[in-house]
Amino acid sequence: MSISYELVKHYPWLPSKKIYYSEIAAKDPVEFIKEKIAEYPDGELVDRIFSIFKTAFENVEEIKTYKADELNVYLYTILKILLYINNSVPIANRVANLYAKHTYNKMIREDNDYNLYSICKDLKLNIQYYDKAVPFGLIIEKDRKQVLQTQFSIHYIDYLKLASNLRDDHRKLVHNVLNHGFVLIDKKELTRLLQEIVRKKLLIQEAKDISSLDDFKNKLLEIKEIRELNERILDVWELKKDEFGEPYVFKYSKGENVEESFPPCIVDILKKVDEGQNLTHIERLFLVFFLHALEIPIDEIVNFFAKLPDFDRKKTEYQVEFAKKKGYLPHSCSTLKSYSLCRADQYKDELCLEGYYSKKLESQKKIQHPLHYVRIMQYRKYRPKEEVQTKNKNEK
Amino acid sequence: MKNEIFLRNLFQAFYQESQKDIPAVSMLDRREFGFLLWDNKFMQRHLGFAEIEDLRQFLIQKSPMHAYSSGSLYRQPDNDDMENKGYQGCDFVIDIDVDHFYTGCKNDHDLWYCKECGTNGRGMIEKCPNCEKLKITRVAWICENCLNIAKKEIIKLIDNFLIPDFAVNLDQINIAFSGHRGYHLKIEDPRIRTLTSDQRREIVDYLTGHNISFEILGLHEKASIFGLIKDNQGWSNKIMTKLEEILRMEPLEIEHFLRDPNWGDLNSARISSLLKYREEFLEVINSKQQNIWSIEGFGLTTWKKLLRAVVKKVGAEIDEPVSIDIHRLIRYPGTLHGKTGFKVQELDYDQLDEFNPLNESNELIDPIVFESKKQITQKLEITDLKVPATKIKGITYGDYEWGEKIEVPHHVAVFLLCKGVAKII
Repeated sequence: MSISYELVKHYPWLPSKKIYYSEIAAKDPVEFIKEKIAEYPDGELVDRIFSIFKTAFENVEEIKTYKADELNVYLYTILKILLYINNSVPIANRVANLYAKHTYNKMIREDNDYNLYSICKDLKLNIQYYDKAVPFGLIIEKDRKQVLQTQFSIHYIDYLKLASNLRDDHRKLVHNVLNHGFVLIDKKELTRLLQEIVRKKLLIQEAKDISSLDDFKNKLLEIKEIRELNERILDVWELKKDEFGEPYVFKYSKGENVEESFPPCIVDILKKVDEGQNLTHIERLFLVFFLHALEIPIDEIVNFFAKLPDFDRKKTEYQVEFAKKKGYLPHSCSTLKSYSLCRADQYKDELCLEGYYSKKLESQKKIQHPLHYVRIMQYRKYRPKEEVQTKNKNEK
Repeated sequence: MKNEIFLRNLFQAFYQESQKDIPAVSMLDRREFGFLLWDNKFMQRHLGFAEIEDLRQFLIQKSPMHAYSSGSLYRQPDNDDMENKGYQGCDFVIDIDVDHFYTGCKNDHDLWYCKECGTNGRGMIEKCPNCEKLKITRVAWICENCLNIAKKEIIKLIDNFLIPDFAVNLDQINIAFSGHRGYHLKIEDPRIRTLTSDQRREIVDYLTGHNISFEILGLHEKASIFGLIKDNQGWSNKIMTKLEEILRMEPLEIEHFLRDPNWGDLNSARISSLLKYREEFLEVINSKQQNIWSIEGFGLTTWKKLLRAVVKKVGAEIDEPVSIDIHRLIRYPGTLHGKTGFKVQELDYDQLDEFNPLNESNELIDPIVFESKKQITQKLEITDLKVPATKIKGITYGDYEWGEKIEVPHHVAVFLLCKGVAKII
């Protein structure tokens, strides 16, 4: 089943694009861009691309210049090429977040739900569309009674692949209706999953073969309009980058650097923050609770969040202070596992996986809390020299 | 050593006689194999076999104590570097083992000894009740009741979850008695093979009900307490249907469930209150107009405690890490379990209900392969402090005590030797 030409113009990331625009894939990218710039001499193409980058760097969620026209299809391809040649994960993350969020807003406003079904089909998602909404539950509260119903269901394998990345508690399979292999899903949730697909389409992996990337980049930057466009983009990025904050050096209030004592679950979140990736609600909470527990000052915690793509200083200050007042402890290892935030296996962290030997209990103990991990690491770092020497001797 | 040689020779004889019955698992050439040999404490992993005949010859030659294969498929299953093995996906493996959950009969047959102070006792404990040390040696035993509970769990898993919710076809499921204290189930579906560990955890949570949030299912307080609704499909319906079933039991049975620390763990006042308002609450459960959960003494915390007990009843007791870990090895069907001498017996779904591993009447699926037709017996001396009673083939053997000299049928002797609680004399 192929999708309509109109839908491709609205959503140029759809796989069916190649049916209507087979010439894009067939052409050399440099020649393709030259041709398109010549086709739009009024500079609209370049301006609209620049507007996407600028909007992304300003943490706004709507692309004002977005138009569902033919140019939109070419623009999307050139946008991806620019993200690739700049080889910057933080830039790509910001653009991907914006573009995906904008797409979500567009899709959720689609009057014709069947279009959403067509989009899913085009993405090869195993989805079912019901002409008549299927009821799957009720909300009864005082005098209010609401029937829960939907026109969509998605195969649980596809659902898991999309929803498990989002990690929000209400999206866990156990909280959803699963019938005959399909998860009943409402339009808003389905659109949110599609947003995630769009975001991933724009993400980049940092290139390892820099020389071949540079060759391609140099050829592309020989095109005057692209060179100027890229310079403008990087100028804005340079200005904004500082606002997002420099990498944060972690210190205890006493002043010692404790970053090397962090467990892999925190290291992984920090890596995401460093790359300007968005964090889930649970990841944010966990990070705030963890930093509070280490008694890092509030303003420093807020600064740390400044690198996130949706950073709002006032809101963050309020939330960080609120969390401090509540005095919540960070999640335990078992809770983190349930949220799929444990990274012990991924980082092959010996302390997390093997635990440590407790002299007091004369047995091998497991790490059960991230703060426990920090304490053990700090102990190992600062334990008396004699103890270390004795241990080394014993190990020999 | 004498015991090990004896058992190894028996295992070898079994593999020689029954080699044609060792089944070929699907895509055998892409599975990793692992074995624990009698004279080696470490598992030999990262082995691969191109053909079932190669595996059968290996089993005859080495006659291992335990034999395993991977749920995963690899391009090079014999490559000992996991990074370079070429992972291609993993079946969904479920292990139900009574080791991992409470059964009442464990208080009768599971033993423990404290290595620190010498105290011993029966049942499941974490630390020594006398000296509070964790150095505990456990002797986990089996009985028909335990194995029956494990069997019911696997049937519940298939009937209440895998078929209706996940639409798994019976021809995609491989079921096997593990040869010891439980059952294995493997789902072979190309789509499931693509799931990551994180995504598998989601399925595990769905099957067990772990990490369920009652708030997300609707339990909340806004002047009154509003509860879960039976008409809501999914876990809400599962929980409320089970709760209704419990509340329709005899009052004594309800009280037992509510009071048992392994289930409801509620105090007398709350139990009385729930019993008093039971009929009214049953009406609320089945009402489509009102949903206020109002029972004297029940706040959100108590409701959650009760719902957690119901979730435990509904969910399947599976060994979670087995299903989540994509590099785990599982017992190979048709091979022998070195801790019992029983065969890892493949079963059809239709055979499950009647299957009794300790006294199976259908010879074709009888896991006790060393039963002698000639009534051969074996003389043994008990080497463990205490050995619980074991009912095999309808006859109870034991309790035994250290130093006791016994003469038992061949298959019982194999079992006690494999368990490591006796020696040949």
